[in-house]
Amino acid sequence: MTITGLGPHGERAAAPERVLLLPEDMARARASSLRVAIVLHTTTSDWARQLLAGLVGTLGACGVVVIDVADCAFAPEAQIEALDRLIREAPAAIISLPVANAKVAEAHKRVAAAGIRLVLLDNVPTGLLPSKDYVSLISADNFGLGKMAAESLSAHLPPGARIGVLGYDADFFATNEREIAFVKWMQINRPDLDITVRRFSALADAAETTHALLELVPDMAGLFAVWDTPATAAARVFEAAGKSVPITTIDLGRDAAIGLAAGGPIVAIAAQQPFRQGQTAASTTVTALLGRPPPAWVALPGIAVTPDNVVESFQSVWQSPAPRELLRKKKLVR
Amino acid sequence: MRPIISAPTTVPTTVPLAGAESFEILNLVRTERSTTRQELERESELGTATGGRAPRLVRFSAERANILVATLNQTALGVGIADLTGRLKMEHHEEADLTGPVSALCDRLTTLFRWIIDRQEDRHDLWGISISTPGAVVDGTETRFHLSTPPVLPGWESFPIVERLVEAFDAPVWLRSSVETMTMGELHAGAGIGHRTMLFVKVGKRIGAGLVSDGSLFRGAQGAVGLIGSVPVTNGERTGTLESMAGSDAIAEEGRAAGERGQSPVIADFLRRGHEITAIEVAQAAQMGDRAAIEILSQSGRLIGQVVATLANMLNPEIIVLSGSIAQTNDILLAAAREAIYGASHPLVSRDLQIIRSQMGSSSGLVGAAITAAEGLFAPATLREWIMAVRPQAHPLFADMKRRISEKPAGKGTVHPPATTKGKR
Repeated sequence: MTITGLGPHGERAAAPERVLLLPEDMARARASSLRVAIVLHTTTSDWARQLLAGLVGTLGACGVVVIDVADCAFAPEAQIEALDRLIREAPAAIISLPVANAKVAEAHKRVAAAGIRLVLLDNVPTGLLPSKDYVSLISADNFGLGKMAAESLSAHLPPGARIGVLGYDADFFATNEREIAFVKWMQINRPDLDITVRRFSALADAAETTHALLELVPDMAGLFAVWDTPATAAARVFEAAGKSVPITTIDLGRDAAIGLAAGGPIVAIAAQQPFRQGQTAASTTVTALLGRPPPAWVALPGIAVTPDNVVESFQSVWQSPAPRELLRKKKLVR
Repeated sequence: MRPIISAPTTVPTTVPLAGAESFEILNLVRTERSTTRQELERESELGTATGGRAPRLVRFSAERANILVATLNQTALGVGIADLTGRLKMEHHEEADLTGPVSALCDRLTTLFRWIIDRQEDRHDLWGISISTPGAVVDGTETRFHLSTPPVLPGWESFPIVERLVEAFDAPVWLRSSVETMTMGELHAGAGIGHRTMLFVKVGKRIGAGLVSDGSLFRGAQGAVGLIGSVPVTNGERTGTLESMAGSDAIAEEGRAAGERGQSPVIADFLRRGHEITAIEVAQAAQMGDRAAIEILSQSGRLIGQVVATLANMLNPEIIVLSGSIAQTNDILLAAAREAIYGASHPLVSRDLQIIRSQMGSSSGLVGAAITAAEGLFAPATLREWIMAVRPQAHPLFADMKRRISEKPAGKGTVHPPATTKGKR
């Protein structure tokens, strides 16, 4: 599948295969006694757990020791503290998901300045440059995910419909790309639609923002939410208001998957591949540590999930059996 | 660093003000006239006295206003927003087709600019729009904003993109070639920091150069400096332009042919996997030790180096910066270019000459575009026309331009961004 977006500085995407490690690469890595540290926004979400599984597993196969996995709990201050602490540990590389933009930029710059390779996940603080401040960004094709969500919502929308977009009011590469791509696809392919955008600044505000959207667009015929947790919050708002509004979103979370299997209001999901992203981040890091410059942006395509393929998509994305409730909704078990 | 009102044009230098207009500005500050006092910040430092009392240096706060920036190339569009020093606050890039209608490009640019303004938490005014274009912008004026749309790209002569942007955003517009904006970006925020004489070479499908002389961009008679891609070069029995012999299209084509002929096992493997072969794939094959790919990149580097060596002997730069995705990610091309340049340069020229890859990547175009606008705004000839009103929109030529632009009924908008309480845009 092709990658439709461009990287944070306009880079063309490289496929994960471009950082494929050959047996001799892994042997060299094992002989090098490498140490790396990981800094994540959280370690408790399904997405983070899968990413970590792919990341740590692949690093292990290359003999690379993970000396720390810092959980910043989405707090920039905690991330800055973790990065500074880990710089003192002098690992060969730090793999980090920047939780903010300007606030954490300087701390991330200090990593490269200390001679430690920095591999980024999902987001690049503005001003950081590939090959100077970081080695590579590994992310989903968020632009492609946004287009996928638009295309699947379009099928549920009558001509001239009014729809809403529930965006995220933070300068974050992934969610920005999703929102821009969704609106762009609709403007090109469904110029008949009227789109209203509202953004929440914290997850807890998603329901309130949905209420505000509903007040503005009482006859809303469809909604796009930039990830699954706000989408499920919006679904609850619609349910309470007695409205049936089709929703598309991104990320195949457990609740969203069950909602999709139940037949709505979530009608389609564009899924990321966190396990594969973790594996790719690991091989990118090893590639860099072996002295070969990896591409500035490695992107993983999304998976279009519908009620028809939700079970197998769940297994493929989460590397685990689908929850029993999901199987029940699909009438695969009693 | 904050922009300094300075002479002759450069923003981030501490050259003292000169002339009647600067006297007015300083007087304004000294007499503490309230409206402008709020807008201008007085620095405590004093400039060098050239006789009499030392001039006081005045700076605008970098946070005083924003500049919208964009880069256009044949296949992509990048947009961003920067402060008055050129520091990017946000950027976004997407695929775009520049061969399509200019109106569609203008609509997309407007949509993305509105989106990016809407995403800013600050309440800053918009003072300029600066766009980096794929071709040379032939224009006699050195730093002033455009008063009409120059024919930069096919179709632009019949579509007033500059006027449309002025109409939509009420801010002056600058257009510069991509190699000029990248040179400016590299000079002020990348490898060129601290250098007065720099040669910037961008290697892509096109090959172009930018020249910094005495700390300023040299634009030539018509803004068409550095079109070195048109220089004829010879490789064995083949002769062609530098671009056609060493640009990324040539690298891709030769790589593809080597893969198909079985001379390059790595590229042959890419082809078997159905990968499209671009210069990036050839560069990756070379990094993986593929001999045919190494030779293709070395050849490209040698040809570029030969042409750049001629320039180096003529211009005696302190630093040569190679930019473009291949030059920046591939050591082989860089090494071959270095060897050719050092080998063909006069010992005095090569003695302290540094040849390095760009430190900025593709952000240099956006950063450089912002610096172009900032320098334009603060160029004394332009500054004196608007400083008393404390907003560049008050410049008489800009006001005239706005009057000329006929009022058109607003089109029916179908996307409603969040209501904003942010400042004037």
